[in-house]
Amino acid sequence: MENRAALVAPQFDRELIARYDVNAPRYTSYPTALHFRDDFSEADLFDCIRASNDDPIPRDLSTYIHVPFCLSPCFYCGCARIITHDKRKADTYLTRLYREIEQVAARFDRDRRLVQLHFGGGTPNFLNITQMLELIESLGRHFSFSRDAGREFGIELDPRFCDGDYARQVAEAGINRVSIGVQDFDPAVQQAVNRIQSVEETADVMQGARKGGVRSINLDLIYGLPKQTPEGFARTLEQVIALKPDRIAAYGYAHLPERFKAQRQIDKYDLPDATTRLTLLQSCVSMLTAAGYVHIGVDHFALPGDDLAQALVNGTLQRNFQGYSTHAACDLIGFGMSAISRIARGFSQNAKDLPGYYMALDNGRLPVARGRLLSEDDLLRSDLIQQLMCGGVLDIPSFEARHPVEFAHYFRQSLARLQPLVDDGLVTCSSQRIETTARGQLLLRNIAQCFDAYIEGSDNRYSRAV
Amino acid sequence: MGYSESTGGRKAVFNPIADDGNEYKFCSTCAFGSVCVGHGVDKIGLTELHCLVEHAGPFRTGDAIFRHGDRFSAVYAVRAGTVKTSQVDREGRELILGFHLPGELIGLNAIHTEIYPCDAIALETVEVCRFSFPALATLATRIPQIQKELFRRLSKDIGDASQRIQESTADERLAAFILNLCARYEARGFAANALRLSMPRSDIANYLGLAAETVSRVLRRFQDSGLLVVEGREVSLKNPAGLREVARNILPD
Repeated sequence: MENRAALVAPQFDRELIARYDVNAPRYTSYPTALHFRDDFSEADLFDCIRASNDDPIPRDLSTYIHVPFCLSPCFYCGCARIITHDKRKADTYLTRLYREIEQVAARFDRDRRLVQLHFGGGTPNFLNITQMLELIESLGRHFSFSRDAGREFGIELDPRFCDGDYARQVAEAGINRVSIGVQDFDPAVQQAVNRIQSVEETADVMQGARKGGVRSINLDLIYGLPKQTPEGFARTLEQVIALKPDRIAAYGYAHLPERFKAQRQIDKYDLPDATTRLTLLQSCVSMLTAAGYVHIGVDHFALPGDDLAQALVNGTLQRNFQGYSTHAACDLIGFGMSAISRIARGFSQNAKDLPGYYMALDNGRLPVARGRLLSEDDLLRSDLIQQLMCGGVLDIPSFEARHPVEFAHYFRQSLARLQPLVDDGLVTCSSQRIETTARGQLLLRNIAQCFDAYIEGSDNRYSRAV
Repeated sequence: MGYSESTGGRKAVFNPIADDGNEYKFCSTCAFGSVCVGHGVDKIGLTELHCLVEHAGPFRTGDAIFRHGDRFSAVYAVRAGTVKTSQVDREGRELILGFHLPGELIGLNAIHTEIYPCDAIALETVEVCRFSFPALATLATRIPQIQKELFRRLSKDIGDASQRIQESTADERLAAFILNLCARYEARGFAANALRLSMPRSDIANYLGLAAETVSRVLRRFQDSGLLVVEGREVSLKNPAGLREVARNILPD
């Protein structure tokens, strides 16, 4: 890992950013989930788990638990989720989830520490507090929880459907990170996306979490939503900054109604135009930077004292499905409908629908639906893209020390693709080092994309880079 | 799918398959390489030795080169990859006897009983040379260097076995294990301070009589004190002298 030359504030060049606003993967994994294949089976997953146990020092473990239910549909959402008011569905789901956890956990050697845990959704707090505490407790029985203060045990909470007390209780059960979706506090926007959530509700959950001992709270924002205006969004940013979250993620809304059904509820004439989108992003970057937040990469910001900002400075930052993390590469186990695992050299994804997920487990099988075994080339590029996405710097001699390739020759085509970005001043490139400039900070995805071997012929399936 | 880049730019990888040799010279890692290189076997002798060698494999991970109880017919020299030899007791517990690297011989322990007393299992993709034993024995009576090499290797096997000292600590055992592997790779012309552990940690644990978690705990401690660095299966020695110091009680002088 490379030390970032201190913390470079991103430079906002409207013309440049507008020009690079093309579709690019977010690189929370490489290859991206679009390249998973149907011929990956349960047996392949077992082989991967075995191989991961066989290392002289096996990696630490990380788990993601997907709770797919939501009580109300947010129209911008692209997640795998099911809208229901029937709370009994939680029990039906948990029965299968416990079965999956039990079967998978038994295959991992017990001395492997679980250093990361993340509940995502859907809405994890669709589970009532009793169910949630029981789930955390059960995970603790099946895995060896790290007792290190640096462990990252996180949960996504929806303040519309839980209170400060829920947050406090999960924190007391060991959760030390909370992520809360805000998107925008502007009432007109909230109405247009079907998500009415007050500042007070949000503050209440944050307060409860802090009372329970949570180290780091993240608030999610989205720019590019229907009815969004620069004035309204600036007000939201002020309100968010006043709440003093440790981290802020500001995602660009990707309108892909043909892929995500919920988005068909959004009137495309309500969406801000490209110029307004840029202004929204610009105010986001400038206001957060002025308020003392450090740009971690892509859409993430954090206060300088937060673990993420520290990891960026120390060169230990990692990219994962949730965005960024401070832990060295773990084997990631995904539990629940649609969840993705990355173990040893394999990616594995569970069935994306409830019937498929239930049927496999009811028949004594794991719900593996798709996946991919990584080739040598995938592993090389995955390392490289990870370096670029986490600090924007690649030290070529140390990369060559880790992999049996001559960099300049092996990546000659990628480097040729990178050249126009070098010419535009987004990135510098010598025989020793590739380094993103302040101008390129907001365009890491475009830089990383030059090294993606799968990119040809896959246009328009990813969200826009900006 | 944009893979064209990957056809070039690869450096020589660790543990490659040996070159094939010719009638004057054996493969660079050959078990009998020293017979002809060191002692100047005449061309006719060498050609005869070559005639009784068959290349076998590739064997995939988990494949058996021979099984316990098979009738002894040949000794094998590892050309590429790592082979483990092990026995299984009546309760089904595995006991690992050793790991065999390129250039090393397996099957010598069957000469006496004429039945292989253990399994030989490929731990990764493995290629071997098969020396038909009756033919080799006959040739050995005519070429003294071959006989001498066979005796040397047999006595070395016995020596290695007596080195597994029961009263040593986990630290000593692991340090000695890693130094021993490095020395063996180095003797075959590989880098002295880096190796790839192709055996699973449970096999290392089994061989050293330790628990799997102890193997990792000790390696982590070695890593924390700057003796070595472990990345996946790759181990690089940062302070070989320090490691020798740890293992000094059980290392041969």
